[in-house]
Amino acid sequence: MTAPAAAYGKALDLITRVRGVRGAMLVSAEDGIVVAEQLMEGIKGPAVSALAASLGARLRRAMEAAGVGASVFWHLQAEQGALLVVPTPGGTLVVAVAEPDVNVGLVRLELLRAAEVVG
Amino acid sequence: MPDAIKTLSSQLAQDPDSLVFLRLGELLRQKGQLDTAHRVALTGLERHPHLPDAHDLYARILADKHDYERAFDEWDMALRIAPDHVGALKGLAFLYFKVGDVQQAAAHLEAAQRVAPNDPGVAQALALARGEAGTVAEPEPIAPAAQPMEEARVFAGLEGAQEGLLLLDASGRVLGGALKDPAGRDVTDAVAAYLAGVSQEAARTVKLLGLGKWTGLAAEGKLGHVHLAPPSSDALLLVVRDRAVPMGRLAIIAQRAALAARRWLEAHA
Amino acid sequence: MTTRAVETWTLEPLVKFVKEAGARLVLVMTSAGQVLAQHGFSRAVDVMSAAALGAAIMASTDEMARQLRQPAFAALNHQGERHGIFLAGLATGRARLVALVVYDLDVSSLGLVQLFFEQLAADLHAASPKDSVPKQVLAADFERQLSDSLNTLFGR
Repeated sequence: MTAPAAAYGKALDLITRVRGVRGAMLVSAEDGIVVAEQLMEGIKGPAVSALAASLGARLRRAMEAAGVGASVFWHLQAEQGALLVVPTPGGTLVVAVAEPDVNVGLVRLELLRAAEVVG
Repeated sequence: MPDAIKTLSSQLAQDPDSLVFLRLGELLRQKGQLDTAHRVALTGLERHPHLPDAHDLYARILADKHDYERAFDEWDMALRIAPDHVGALKGLAFLYFKVGDVQQAAAHLEAAQRVAPNDPGVAQALALARGEAGTVAEPEPIAPAAQPMEEARVFAGLEGAQEGLLLLDASGRVLGGALKDPAGRDVTDAVAAYLAGVSQEAARTVKLLGLGKWTGLAAEGKLGHVHLAPPSSDALLLVVRDRAVPMGRLAIIAQRAALAARRWLEAHA
Repeated sequence: MTTRAVETWTLEPLVKFVKEAGARLVLVMTSAGQVLAQHGFSRAVDVMSAAALGAAIMASTDEMARQLRQPAFAALNHQGERHGIFLAGLATGRARLVALVVYDLDVSSLGLVQLFFEQLAADLHAASPKDSVPKQVLAADFERQLSDSLNTLFGR
């Protein structure tokens, strides 16, 4: 990791400040284990981390097969919420759990900024 | 052939530990009696778990049943027991070829050729993998390829119908459209093989996180963007574009394509 | 690969766990290494070895925790190049059990195994019979019971 742990908290803070975001996490992409989190009540951190990592891995293989290269950002939209993820070069996923009508563009920007901090 | 199956079945019944199950299982597989072949192979494997030919037979049956993940495990096991097992090398080459990993496919075929230099099937498959010209027949597929129905008609009139739009059923079989990578290679089957898994994992994720049903999965790649959506409960739509097309526009293209797909699915239900 | 159980109440929770976690091999056993259910093993000797080693690892780490004056460790994970091994204890109405899980890193992950292990533990606890008196196992019966168990675990 290129940043001290205190910097993670600040990076997650900026993500959770976006209206509609219910939680933000750093997840180990390989293990699906939580590295850091800031989550509202009711969000199951270990479940989010394990499932986001698993879905990310499958999506990565499909994208490589399609020839579109490594994922920079992905967004799973559902009826009652959304999952937004930016993978970092260091093997971490920056994850946001959000309301279904969140401003995706804003969240994406904050996720990318956080990814630069995390490395 | 029915007589041969009867004879071999009788021999196996008299001596359940004999290796005749290998021939019997293979005959049943060739006849398309996959469930029976599966039972014969599995019982034989339980009695002879260290026999690479038993794992090879089981893997071929699994591949015929489109259970490619388990077929991979079985061929992998065969190679662990016997690193030079030609059947397992060929089987893994087939699976790698199927998902578009031609490099790995060629590597396994080369290994098979070192062990069996006179095997014409290996030579032909290797030539195909290396993209050589000439009278090279495509290696006989273990399982018949999916037949897309009325190919491009699903997306007739839509931008990118031939190379950037793909409609699949819930099992990952192609219903329409086609996909090419930036180098112009057809990657339809390779991508289709992965997408069923992506869709199942997306459905599981939203279910376990209490997010309702998933309605779309959009991803930005270094070389292009993809958008995956379920136009119906048992179909999947994939739209792929290069990075020049913004994600927002991709979502609109996907909406139009989903509408076309829904109409087509209803018409062909 | 099939799932088999000596104690039938373990079967349904185990089948569900294997499917969700994508586990390759699973053993559910007592702390002493007596196997109650298995998934994915094709040889009796492998089951016996894995059960003995798993029970020994748990016993060693339990002792380590005791010496550190800490509660028993909840779970252990070993990660190799292609596979991971996850070992954890779980409480049931009858006794403390141990689950040994082997998973392919291409197919599953520690996060997924941990996530669904919690459900497995809850399901096994709910399904377990609540015996008040533990059964005595005589040395003479032990070998016969082991042989019977292995036959059940391999569907013979």
